[in-house]
Amino acid sequence: MPNFPLSALRFQRRAAIAVLLFLALAAPGRAADATLLTGALDGKELAAAIAREKGHVVLVNFWATWCVPCREEFPDLVRLEKAYRDRGLRVLGVSTDLAKDLPKVEKFLAAGHPDFPNYRKKSGGDDQDFIESVDPKWGGEIPFTILYGKDGKKARVLSGKQSYADFESAVSALLR
Amino acid sequence: MKTMRTLLGLAFLSAAALSALAEGPAIGATAPPFELKTIDGKPFSLADAEKANALVVLVFISTNCPYSNAYNDRMRDIANAYAKKGILFVGVNSNSTETVQDAVDHAKKNGHTFAIVKDTGNKVADLYDARRTPEAFVIGKDGKLQYHGRIDENYEDASKVTSPDLKNALDALLAGQPVVKAETKAFGCTIKRA
Repeated sequence: MPNFPLSALRFQRRAAIAVLLFLALAAPGRAADATLLTGALDGKELAAAIAREKGHVVLVNFWATWCVPCREEFPDLVRLEKAYRDRGLRVLGVSTDLAKDLPKVEKFLAAGHPDFPNYRKKSGGDDQDFIESVDPKWGGEIPFTILYGKDGKKARVLSGKQSYADFESAVSALLR
Repeated sequence: MKTMRTLLGLAFLSAAALSALAEGPAIGATAPPFELKTIDGKPFSLADAEKANALVVLVFISTNCPYSNAYNDRMRDIANAYAKKGILFVGVNSNSTETVQDAVDHAKKNGHTFAIVKDTGNKVADLYDARRTPEAFVIGKDGKLQYHGRIDENYEDASKVTSPDLKNALDALLAGQPVVKAETKAFGCTIKRA
């Protein structure tokens, strides 16, 4: 055993106790409040969030943890956002999961490490109202992606799972 | 002139990009006829089904979509209850990722005794512009589309449904009344096209 002075050992022990106390007192509260979601939105609030990004190409992706193709394409969106952020791309994710599935949403986001904001559709109300407000031609199928040009206008809709190349081609065309 | 042509070209391209979502038949329009085989190998003709029944309900379904599977019991119950009233319920499986055997096993497991057709190459899904599962189309004896949309608004809990839209449409049509909500929407799984 290394020969530490007693005062140093006491200091180490006290420091360890202080850290444990801090973790015991602070961690449960933080864990309860911590969320990787940026917030909850209805259709109007989503439109406002998109409008705030005017001047950029905005990609909005609707996903859910129960949707296998959504989970499959999500890593491509994470990669795409990293590659095109400096060129003017902004990505917004919107989870359509039910409130009871929020722990699954948190777990999914923790594993996916997106560097872009992810919201969830506000609970309550009729899903049809949300779907119609986002795009009257959207049937409610997910994954579903909408691209907005730098002028803030809707430019492309991508229904179903896309490849990285599909996303890249659509985004590149709008960034030109 | 060149600028004008460029602008027109751009406008055309924008419209084409935005209209990437195809259009299916509108309410009141003729439902596209088709012939397919059921998953137990029998021929199915929509035209013949229309003639032989008061109404035909096509529901695009999946064997592994959680949203579609949440409606397995409701689909079975609706099919059985309305068969007595002359309504034919037909499941359409257009998912390229699901085989005929998958559909057979799924129907057996869930007590689905209604006809299920396999839409290989998603030709019928394309004709109707069906996008998700579950998604219902109700067709009258005259071959016209009378209802398009969801089964109800609450996929999570059948006991808390407040808007049983498909049943409401069927009841209205059987009573000779117009369908109040003829087009409805809900979240669902994308149909996996070939």
